[in-house]
Amino acid sequence: MFRFFSKQENRLEDLIYKYLENFQLICENFEKAVFSCIREPLCEEFNFLKEQTDKYESKADDIIDEINNLMYSKVLIPDSREDIMKLLHALDKIPGYLEIVLFMIKYQKLVIPEKFFKDIQELIKISLEACETLSKQVVGFIKKETGTRNFMNTIDKHESHCDYIEKRLIQKTFTSNIDPFVKLQLKELIICMGDISDQADRVSKMVNILSMKRMV
Amino acid sequence: MYSLFGGIFLGWSLGANDASNIFGTAVSSRMIKFWTAALLASIFVILGALISGQAGIETLKGLTSFDISQAVISSIAAALTVSAMTFLGLPVSTSQAVVGAIIGIGIINGQLSFTGLGKVLICWFTTPVGGTLITIILYKLLAFGYNHLKISLFRSDQLLRMCLIVSGSYGAYALGANNVANVTAVFVGAGTLSIFGAALIGGLSIAFGILTFSKPVMETIGKKLVSLDPFSALMVSMAVGITIHIYTIIGVPVSSSQAVVGSVLGIGIIKGASTVRVQTLKNILLAWFLTPLIACLIAVLITFGSYLEYTGH
Repeated sequence: MFRFFSKQENRLEDLIYKYLENFQLICENFEKAVFSCIREPLCEEFNFLKEQTDKYESKADDIIDEINNLMYSKVLIPDSREDIMKLLHALDKIPGYLEIVLFMIKYQKLVIPEKFFKDIQELIKISLEACETLSKQVVGFIKKETGTRNFMNTIDKHESHCDYIEKRLIQKTFTSNIDPFVKLQLKELIICMGDISDQADRVSKMVNILSMKRMV
Repeated sequence: MYSLFGGIFLGWSLGANDASNIFGTAVSSRMIKFWTAALLASIFVILGALISGQAGIETLKGLTSFDISQAVISSIAAALTVSAMTFLGLPVSTSQAVVGAIIGIGIINGQLSFTGLGKVLICWFTTPVGGTLITIILYKLLAFGYNHLKISLFRSDQLLRMCLIVSGSYGAYALGANNVANVTAVFVGAGTLSIFGAALIGGLSIAFGILTFSKPVMETIGKKLVSLDPFSALMVSMAVGITIHIYTIIGVPVSSSQAVVGSVLGIGIIKGASTVRVQTLKNILLAWFLTPLIACLIAVLITFGSYLEYTGH
């Protein structure tokens, strides 16, 4: 019955789901790009996947802009407008981190040493699992489904695991015999990779608070 | 006809001030556009006055007997009291000002219906309490249902917005039905107007006040209640409508401002938060005693003044 009454609300709902689909595509492309770089540093495939990731990231910005415009045309009630924009801006920081990681690899011509392969693959895999769970948690929040707290707990576990791998990697970097300049480059890359799960955890906690806020 | 201007002026100021108690929160938080709220409020105030305004008019006209000059004096006394109290920054009730002025006229006439007056006084004291209790009951009942609704955030927003429009319209209907007596009941008592004519003129003048001068009040009133979440704002709006409607059925004009404060206090009790400042409560208590007293005194003074004659010495 409600769908009939509001065209703008329906458009906004569609845009948010479109953003989340695009968010998933960014994550998938990013994973493929990093893994291709590990297999073969600075190859053609990496460049192609990086460009694809940039393209989807730019599309995400366009969707956010359109959502912003809809919000200014007074769609939804003010409390919800504020909550959704806050949530989307926080979520949109994740594609930003993914883009920075690929940018660092490409323009600093970073070659990941073989002994870091396993840990970096694990760090990326778990970080992206946290992002995937986060996407489900956001959908659950919008659809007012139960279980957002369970998603938050899962993401929290992933984030702790990522923190542990991140520390282990940094320790390994500085105890290895690689060039000191490369050590600093790698440290910066690992910290940036760790930021992905940190941000996913922050957004997840925000979603949980917003869900509780909506309970009257 | 000119004698009605005092009542029309009172109706206009009532509409300008009291529409904010019904739609203020929704408009100031931009959940509903001002013109949507103003149009709905105007239509439903007139409908309320015409369909259910009779009981209040009967009660007020039954408090004492009037002639036309006394009806005009009571209207002017009420309007002056409302202006003075607004100037002093006290939460003024038009109903209390009108009844105070009628009591003044009744004292001069030596004729006052104490049964009717007792009923009115009891209702004044129970209005904020009623607002508080109705809000608590409504909140507890509806929050349970709302939390268990399996609808998305978007549908839930639309539901809240629709409910605010419906409850605001209902509140405006109740306001028109309850407060029209304040505006024109004295003229029915004086035999100048029929009950239908009084309801129509009263309703139209309140609606005129809403359409011409309620915007600044509506846009600022909600800021006092800005800490309310949308669901609580809806509960306040519904509770105010129900409270005023109950007193309309009883047949006593009451203050919508006091019903709102009582209702917001109810939200504070549920949430364990301080939603109304102690100073606001003190001001309401002060206004409870001062408004009818001042209106009564002004009515008596104007009446005595009207008996004075210029002797030329």
